[in-house]
Amino acid sequence: MRDLFRFLYRIRSTLMFLGWLILSFILLYNGNEHHRAHAISSSNAVVGTIYGWRKDITDYANLKEVNKALADENADWRNRHISTYTPVEGLFARIQDTIHRQEYRVITAKVVNSTWHKPKNQLTLDKGTRAGVHGDMGVIGPDGIVGVVRDASPNFAAVISVLSPEIKTSVQMRRTGHFGLLFWDTNDPLTSSVIDIAKHARVAVGDTVETRGGDGIFPAGIPVGVVESVEDAPGSNYHDITVRLSEDMTRSGFVYVVDDLHRAERDTLQQANER
Amino acid sequence: MIGTILGHILRFLAMILLQVLVIDHLDVLNGLMVPYLYIFFLLMLPVEMPAWAQLAIGAVTGLVMDFFASTPGMHMSACVVMMYGRLYVLRLLSPREGYEFGSRPTVMRMGFPWYITYAGLLILLHHLWLFFVELHRFDAFFFTFLRAVLSAVFTFALCLLAQFLTSGQERDRR
Repeated sequence: MRDLFRFLYRIRSTLMFLGWLILSFILLYNGNEHHRAHAISSSNAVVGTIYGWRKDITDYANLKEVNKALADENADWRNRHISTYTPVEGLFARIQDTIHRQEYRVITAKVVNSTWHKPKNQLTLDKGTRAGVHGDMGVIGPDGIVGVVRDASPNFAAVISVLSPEIKTSVQMRRTGHFGLLFWDTNDPLTSSVIDIAKHARVAVGDTVETRGGDGIFPAGIPVGVVESVEDAPGSNYHDITVRLSEDMTRSGFVYVVDDLHRAERDTLQQANER
Repeated sequence: MIGTILGHILRFLAMILLQVLVIDHLDVLNGLMVPYLYIFFLLMLPVEMPAWAQLAIGAVTGLVMDFFASTPGMHMSACVVMMYGRLYVLRLLSPREGYEFGSRPTVMRMGFPWYITYAGLLILLHHLWLFFVELHRFDAFFFTFLRAVLSAVFTFALCLLAQFLTSGQERDRR
């Protein structure tokens, strides 16, 4: 018995090492899964604040570009606004729209930190649960999809970038309606792959890929990218499609977090259905 | 003594902030080289520090980095592995009469050949572990290996730079 204790004492640093290693592996395997809230992320208040300082400084460098992008976007919205349409005849007046109901609400947020050159990339936003941002909400930029909220604290949110194999987004070809999954395995911040589109579907270079919607994360029809190449590996039933992402992930300013107003309703229905 | 501890705490804060605010945003050759300078703090810890303290400080440092990178356990495991390796590397490289008390693992104190073995081995260990855990698979083995080695070279260069830039007071203190 005493020998055993002596032996354990002699290898105590190895035992401590194994203890720490096991602890870190528990974190690694339990904390990193998508669709699970966890504490160790950049939505942490201290971390978010520090990234916020940096952003406050670096913001000045690209104010001009950001202003231009926002102005362009404003113009685009203005073009769609009701006041730009003159009634063809004076007979119809729009009083209250009961046919359309609002399905999505967007929350603007600033990207305070982002990566794009790692095997798994992420972003940190300056809005959190206080502004209505919660886990599993979609994040879109002015030009296309950006990612999915992993975790939110009162003032910050950690977002899994589309440049990460952790998320697979349901997408479809705008022209033909064939759907597949957007999966980032290209390791290139400008492109991504679309998998699970069967070979009989006609996909051409230059086709637009958009979100399919219905998953409660992204609305349907948000641009994702443009098909850059289609390859058919022998022995596979699916196309090997590479798309050029429409949102430039290497540059980020303002983004919109999409809140699906009917999500709770749909989720309860689906859960009841599964039971 | 208090001054030394304060120095280590300041170095810890400086290295973490430098890492997350500046170095993480470098984009060298599209992510081929990603230096992790924050481990310089761990390399500078006193030689005679007890093993449990080295491992614990390594774990906490890694965990702090994990908060910034949203990668629970990744940096933590790499730092713990590196600090465990450090125990052996220090023993392997110890002079015949043992380390002088209070000696610091720097180029000025130990000489360049000693330092390149010490820091080179540990940085490489940390980076290889980190890059493979990050990728989480072994295909593209050689590419990842290359990335880890190139990044390690970059980190080593930055460590040397950090040391020479803070060397003025170092000599006075001895």
